[in-house]
This record gives sequence, C-alpha cells and structure tokens, in this order.
Amino acid sequence: MTGTDQLANPALYRRRARRNRLAVALAYAATAFGVGWIAVILAVLLYKGIGGLSLAVFTEMTPPPGAAGGLLNAIAGSAVMTLLAVLIGTPVGVLAGTYLSEFGKHDRVSAIVRFVNDILLSAPSVVVGLFVYEIMVAPMGHFSGYAGAVALAVIVIPVVVRTTEDMLNLVPDTMREAAASIGLPRSHMIVHIAYRAARAGIVTGILLAVARVSGETAPLLFTALNNQFWSMNMNGPMPSLPVVIFQFALSPFAEWQKLAWTGALIITVTVLGLSVLARSLTHRR
Amino acid sequence: MGNEHIVKSFDDELKRLTNLIARMGGMVEAQIATAIQAVVKRDADLAASVVSADIRVDELEREIDDQVLRVMALRQPVASDLRLVLGALRIGADLERAADYAKNVAKRAAVLAQVPPLRPVHSIPRMGAMVREMLKDVLDAFAAGDVEKAVSVWNRDEELDEMYASLFRELLTYMMEDPRNITGSTHLLFIAKNIERIGDHTTNVAETIHFLVKGVPLREIRPKGDVSSSTIVTAEGRDGEGSSA
Amino acid sequence: MSASVQNVQIQLDAPVPAGEAPEILEEKISIRNLEFFYGDSRALKKIDLPLYSRKVTAFIGPSGCGKSTLLRVLNRMYDLYPGQRATGEVMLDGENLLSPSVDINLLRARVGMVFQKPTPFPMSIYENVAFGIRLYEDLPKNEIDARVESALRRAALWDEVKDKLGAAGQALSGGQQQRLCIARTVAVRPEVILFDEPCSALDPISTAKIEELIDELKRDYTIVIVTHNMQQAARVSDFTTFMYLGEVVEFGPTGTMFTAPTDRRTQDYITGRFG
Repeated sequence: MTGTDQLANPALYRRRARRNRLAVALAYAATAFGVGWIAVILAVLLYKGIGGLSLAVFTEMTPPPGAAGGLLNAIAGSAVMTLLAVLIGTPVGVLAGTYLSEFGKHDRVSAIVRFVNDILLSAPSVVVGLFVYEIMVAPMGHFSGYAGAVALAVIVIPVVVRTTEDMLNLVPDTMREAAASIGLPRSHMIVHIAYRAARAGIVTGILLAVARVSGETAPLLFTALNNQFWSMNMNGPMPSLPVVIFQFALSPFAEWQKLAWTGALIITVTVLGLSVLARSLTHRR
Repeated sequence: MGNEHIVKSFDDELKRLTNLIARMGGMVEAQIATAIQAVVKRDADLAASVVSADIRVDELEREIDDQVLRVMALRQPVASDLRLVLGALRIGADLERAADYAKNVAKRAAVLAQVPPLRPVHSIPRMGAMVREMLKDVLDAFAAGDVEKAVSVWNRDEELDEMYASLFRELLTYMMEDPRNITGSTHLLFIAKNIERIGDHTTNVAETIHFLVKGVPLREIRPKGDVSSSTIVTAEGRDGEGSSA
Repeated sequence: MSASVQNVQIQLDAPVPAGEAPEILEEKISIRNLEFFYGDSRALKKIDLPLYSRKVTAFIGPSGCGKSTLLRVLNRMYDLYPGQRATGEVMLDGENLLSPSVDINLLRARVGMVFQKPTPFPMSIYENVAFGIRLYEDLPKNEIDARVESALRRAALWDEVKDKLGAAGQALSGGQQQRLCIARTVAVRPEVILFDEPCSALDPISTAKIEELIDELKRDYTIVIVTHNMQQAARVSDFTTFMYLGEVVEFGPTGTMFTAPTDRRTQDYITGRFG
C-alpha cells in the first residue's frame, strides 16, 4: 500500500476500512464465544473425569451406593443396543435414501417422504422414547433392550436416509450414463457403481448416526430403563452409559458422581473419535 | 464477400490480402502499358524503367505469400475463406508471371529500338490494349466476386489468340519477303507471344475466381484461337494452315 | 431381426486411384423421419441421415442445434430421463431401435458411448474394463485377462498401465481416463461407438492421441462423433453433418463440407460468420 492520499475520497475509504475491522473483530468474538464453551466443557470433563479413569471402569459392574465399581455393564449395554439400532436403521435408511435419489427423484411421494424425514431428523428424542414406550414397552408389559434398540434405530434412520440421498445425488449423472452406455441394468448400476462411488459418504453418515445415538438418554429412559447388573438379555431391562450417567450424576453419592464424570468423558471421547473418523473418510474421497 | 466474421481481425487480414492483390494487379497493368509504350515509341529508357520496376512486383508477390502463410497458420481458414486464401496465392503467382512477360516485352523493345521500324508493329498496341482490358476486368471481377465477368474475360482470350495467330502469319510473310526483316520480326514475334501469354495468365486468374466463388473448377473447354502452333509455311503457298499438328 | 442392408454407392470427392473400384458404403444405421421431444418442445425435426459402416461421421453445429440429442437417440440414452421421447425410425442393421420391444441393455452393448468428461468407474483400472465383459459373458479368469489386455491395447493405454492394473481408474490423468473409457467401451465389443465431445476436457496432446485412436477404431466400428471443434471434425471424420435448429442442414463427405459446402448456413458456420 502506498497510502490513501491518491484515492478520490480518502475519508470514504477510511470509514469503510474501520467498518471492516469492526466486523472482523465481531466475527472473531462470536467464534471465540462458541468454541470457548466447548473448550470449557472438554476441560471440565477432563478435569473431573480423568481421575476416575482406571482399568476397573472397564472391567467391573456398576456398584451399589457406597461401594467401588466400574461401568462395564453400561458400556456393553450401550454397545449392544447401538449396534442393533444400526443394524435395523442402516438397511432401512440406505434403501429409503436410494429410493429418494435413484428412483423417485421428482415424484410427489418422494417430496412427502423427504419432508417427513426432515421432521424426524429434528424430532425431540424424548418423543421418540415415548413413542416406542407406547408401541413396545406397554404392550409387552416390561422394559427391554429391544425397545431401546428400536428407539435408537428410529433416530438412526433419518440421519442415514439423508446422508445416503445426499451422497447418491453427488454421484454425477454422467457416471450413471456411462454405466448405462455399456449395457448395465439400473439395479447393477446402483449396486456396483453408485454405491461404490458414494460409499465413503454413506459410511460417514452411519458413523455420524452412531455418534448421535450413543449420547441419547431420553429415549432409553422410557424403553431399556436400566439395569445395575450384567445383562445380555435383550428382552429385559438393559443398562446403558447415558442412563447410568444420568442416574449417578443426580445421586448424592460421591463415588457414583465420580463414575458419572468418567462415563461422560468416555462418551465424549467416543463421539469425538467417531466424528473425526467420519471427517477423515469424507476428506479422503 | 458475404457477411462478416465473428472475429473482426480475421476480416481485416483477408481484406489485407485482397488489397495486396488489387495493388499488385494495378502495378502489373501499368507495367504492361509502359512496356507496350516503349515498343511503340521505340523508347529504350521507358523500357529500362519497366525492367527495373519488376522488382517491386516481385516484392508484392512475396508479401502476398507471407500474408497467405500467416492466415493459413493462424486462422486455419475453411470453405470460402480457404478458397479465397489459396486463390490469392495462385493469382499472385499468375500476376507475377504476367509482370515477367511485361518485362520481357520491355527488354525486346529496347532491342527493337535499334533496328529499323517494322510495319506489323501496329498490331502490338491493339493486343496490348486488349490484354490490359482483360486484366482490368479480371481484377474487378476478383474484387467484386463477379463470376460472370471473370467468365467473360476467360472467353475473350480466344480473340487475343486469334490476333496473335494473325500477326504470326503476317510476320512470316514479312520475313519471307525480305530476310533483312528477320531480326526485327523475330523480336516482334516474341513480344506478341509474351502478350499472348499474359492473356493466358489472365484467364488463369479468371478460372481461380470461378473456383474461389463457386467452389468448383471451371470445367468447360476453353475455345482456342491460337492456331500458330499448327501453322506450316511453304515457299509456294506462303502460308497455310494444317489441321494436323 | 430382418436383414435389409442397403448398399449405397456414393462417389466420394476424393479422386479414386486408377484401377480401384469406387468405395462401396454400407449403411449401418439409417435414420428416417426422426423427431425428438423434450416434453412438448421439439428438439429434432424430420431427420433423415445415413451412418456408414466403418466410417467416422461427425455432427457439428452451434450449441443447442440438437447434435448431442441426436447422438443420444442412437443408444436411447434419453430413456433414462422422463418426458423425453423419439418418433420415426432409427434402423440398426435393419431393426428399428426405437421400437419398444428392443432390449435397451443389449442395444447399449451394441452401441457404446464415450462421454465429454472422462467417467471411469470407482474401481481399479482392470475392473473398469473387466466389468462390462463379465456382464454379458461368463469367461474364465485368463480369458478375461486377455480381453482386458486387448481392450487396453486397442485404446493405446496398455503400455502406460500394464504395471498398475490394480490402481484406481480415477487416479489416471484426464487423457488416460478417457482412453480407459474407450477401452471399457471396446471391451464389450460394440458395433457402433458414439463419441460425445470426447476431447473437450483434454489438452492438445491427449486430444491427438484420442483422434489417432478414432482413426484406428474406424477399421472395425461405425463411429459417430459430436464435436464443437470444427477442426477436429475435419481431422477425424469421413462424413460431416451440419445441424442447425434441430435440423440436418447439410450432410456430405468431410472434404467437400470443409472446402465447398453447398448451403449458405454451413458456409457461414464453418467459416466463423454465424450469429
């Protein structure tokens, strides 16, 4: 820069430059405010939770009040229910996303399905819990791991539908035409070409869905409830990490509160890890 | 010709080419006129000026060649543009040959000025006027893309050929009458032949114009008026035409 | 299919060497009274056109003249999209390929296509080529290997990729990807190959390689190429079709079309006077 004196209107230029600096400063401040809270949350979690982190957390059951113990049954329960939810939700989500992108791109049914899916995507999870309570827990007469998994699956489905559709839409039409041009039937094209091209994106969607459900508490409260002991019986109440954290954190017992902090740290690190993994998958594409 | 190119500078380059042809044509016309004048007026200085001016005609032809190369390399002309560019190249060559013949006429005019005047020389200005008229018309036809005019020039060459053939017979007779006339007559004969050749190049230009406008060559058989190549002279008959070559 | 192959004799403008009979041209595809519609708008109007066997025919014309549309009728690519339809006849070896009874996948195996942008499948170089072969033929591994190699050789790509057949097709350069797509098309053993502006995304050297390839391929295939590059049409094709506003304005031997076209519109277009 050679100074502002050769400008036709230096005052106007300086005014604009001042306004620009102000706007940039505000943007930085807003960013710092948002990121700051995440940093604080992570810091508090680390500070409170890392002390309780020991081998026992992963090998011992949740203890009765006043005793020492771990979170093994809760972690296992969470893992099993999440896995089942993904097993239910992924095929449904991927197939529905495929329909929306490959077959019914422009028809009315798709427009409705897409709209409903978007609502489902942002539905409060407590509503999902209540819904599954009504259709499964109440008729069966007891809480169960199955009901928990179904509730989580209902949350998984819209996420997978959305990402599958989006990712298939990113596969260029020229790729579909190229497949057709060598005489490939449509079904072959979708399975062998489109899915392959969109694979990283679809997997990312599933990982994000897992990350999303692994922290859900509300739907599990109404469906899987909890279980203080080791239980792999899906037909009965099952423990899960979020519910255990919820319960222990609200209790007056110091050991339970400490375990709750540790559990929260584990969930956070897991979700963070999944997100980073999903990120790196999409980047590699 | 026709409407303009989307790229204006292409039009400019083609325009430059046609202008060069027009300039060169005008110069060749003047060379022919001056050479004929030199013959008629027995003026060796005038003849010398024609000989020295030929270099300028050659320079113009080189300029046309350069411009053709340039347009071909940079514009890759097709269809009518390609025909125009190739046509310009050929017309340039024909004009250059015509100018060479004018130079030859001038050279012989200088020699002719040193021998006694000959009677048949009166035919030369008529042939010269005829060929100049043809050249002028063919250049106009080129500038206007006028095929009809070009074809009319092409047909007129027959007349020029006939004039040449008749002068040929006249000169033969003249030479037989008095062998002292032979030197002058021979030079005159070559001058007439040169003018006749200029006419041939003019018809070439007419054919080129037909091709560059219509896209197809002029295929009809051109009428031939020059029968001198099959003329036999006998001592008794003085002259006679053999139909067999 | 009923065979009604027409032998049409055309006097090519190129001088025929003395002692050689004039070339006999065989119509591989005959387009008759073809019309094409995008919804209600008519994109092609009463097209009549022969496409000769073992010759390269180029479609040229300004954007939107219908040349790509016409190309995409030849393998019914338009069927992928709703609201597009064609009427009239497109006879391929005497069979109307517009007929609803035609198996579209088999048709496309006979009429291959190479696109504007290279479109390698998201798989290895080898798989890109083998994929189409396996679709219609149940061959042992060594035969597929041989077919893959011969297709890659035909596409003049073999020497560049023989040591990395397992590498991703999408990792190749643009020109190599396009040749891979040609190999993929050739591997299915089509009879006709359609090129839809195959070089518009390539540099001059890659373009020259593709053009050389087209010249090689025409010994065995009927080739149709759509191009915006008129010099390319002049270089690679035997016949040129000039299209304008959904109509065929002029069709003829390329040599004639680029030296002395008969229609004023063709002349104006190829000399750059349009608009």
